[in-house]
Amino acid sequence: MMQRIDLAPLLRETVATPYSDLVTRSTGAALRDRIERTISSASHRTTQLDFTSVGLLDFSCADEVVAKLLLRVADDEEHYVVLSGVTESHLDAIEHVLERHGLSVAALTPGDQAPRVLGATTPDVIAAFQIVQRLGAGDAGRLADALGWTIERAADALQLLALRRLIQAAGGTYRPLVLP
Amino acid sequence: MRVVTVPSSLDDRTLDVLAQDIGEWPPTNGLLLDARATHWASPYGLTALLTLGQAVSEAKLPAPRFTIPDSDEVRSYWARAGFFHAAAECFELVGRIPKKSSDAPSDVLLPVTPVRAAEDVHHVVGRIQERAQRILAAELNLEAKATMGFAMALSEACQNIVEHAGTGGWVAVQTYNWRKRLGRKVVVIAVSDGGMGFRRSLEPTEAKKVGDRWGDGAALELAILHNVSRFRDPGRGQGLAGIRRYLGRWQGKLSVRSGTARLAVVPDWDDDDPLSEHLPFFPGSQVQITIPAQEAATR
Repeated sequence: MMQRIDLAPLLRETVATPYSDLVTRSTGAALRDRIERTISSASHRTTQLDFTSVGLLDFSCADEVVAKLLLRVADDEEHYVVLSGVTESHLDAIEHVLERHGLSVAALTPGDQAPRVLGATTPDVIAAFQIVQRLGAGDAGRLADALGWTIERAADALQLLALRRLIQAAGGTYRPLVLP
Repeated sequence: MRVVTVPSSLDDRTLDVLAQDIGEWPPTNGLLLDARATHWASPYGLTALLTLGQAVSEAKLPAPRFTIPDSDEVRSYWARAGFFHAAAECFELVGRIPKKSSDAPSDVLLPVTPVRAAEDVHHVVGRIQERAQRILAAELNLEAKATMGFAMALSEACQNIVEHAGTGGWVAVQTYNWRKRLGRKVVVIAVSDGGMGFRRSLEPTEAKKVGDRWGDGAALELAILHNVSRFRDPGRGQGLAGIRRYLGRWQGKLSVRSGTARLAVVPDWDDDDPLSEHLPFFPGSQVQITIPAQEAATR
């Protein structure tokens, strides 16, 4: 099951602003606190942060709401975060803060059929992520066949995806993230 | 009383002349700023004047006197740009002040606006976006992505006050035509505060590491070029880094003056010195972000 958190209304509840812009570090920290409490009050394994109706996102707020949230969630075993409603105007800030922390996240942008990986990444990680999302559950052999890679290369890419919570790992098999 | 003549044209370069004339800091005598012959001031100049008044006030000295420009046109423009409304808080204004008008001049995207807390940043960003997007697209050929980045840069520049200055400050945004200097229109964000400045902000954590070279210039280099923040949190220092990233993409210029130094991230179209040290002291920090109109080939 997936838990959806709609950021624009949550922002207005948190800081009593008439605007829908995610700006300032203190706003981001307050919002992240609300998000963390929402996550901990439920038992879902995946949280969808929905940026629909969010106007501007600045670097400091993105650092709190996206990067620091991912760092906190990384402490929890088996919790995943995906972003949705991410527009071109949000991408710059999200990419910047994730790269700075060496983090990645899966994101759905309006108009895209498939999710994309934002943040610190490599061509192998992107290729592996796309194949796992398209083919579904499998193992390193399946990925290697699909991409014409060696088993070792496929296993390395899958391990990196799993470490970054971009796929779910169980034993030797891997499953794509549950997406909205 | 020390009489200081405000340069006839007050901007980021001529502020040094004003700072020189103020002399030692804090001023031992009362100040009278004489702007009667001033015929133009950039947003940087206007916000820096307010910072001067604020810093004098926070030093528990008598409010400086400020004789307003003789020119009706200049007075009217400064009034519509919000200067006198703000200046009344920190100066004893001398002269006939035009009534406050709600209509800002068409080239003023954001009149002089105080920034003291995060709510002010929300207000500034929310207020400017619609107007800025329209004007930046129509007059500076900036595409939607650039106007959004512009608002992000504005937000981060204002947050520097909230996060680091330890006091309030001012922001103003304006477009103007740099016919002689650049041959194009520009949009300028000016943010000025009377706070502790970059050197004092970073001194506890960085001064020993830098050693003999420690000073305003070294502090600016660390903060702007190396994203160093006084906070240990690794996510800090991203605001100025983000501004630089944005300006690099749109050939913009960043200039930051703090204390006795000014550091500029200089694009090809400008010939400013990357680092100027041993300037006359001016209180707080002044940030100027300049984005030129885009030419078809550069987009």
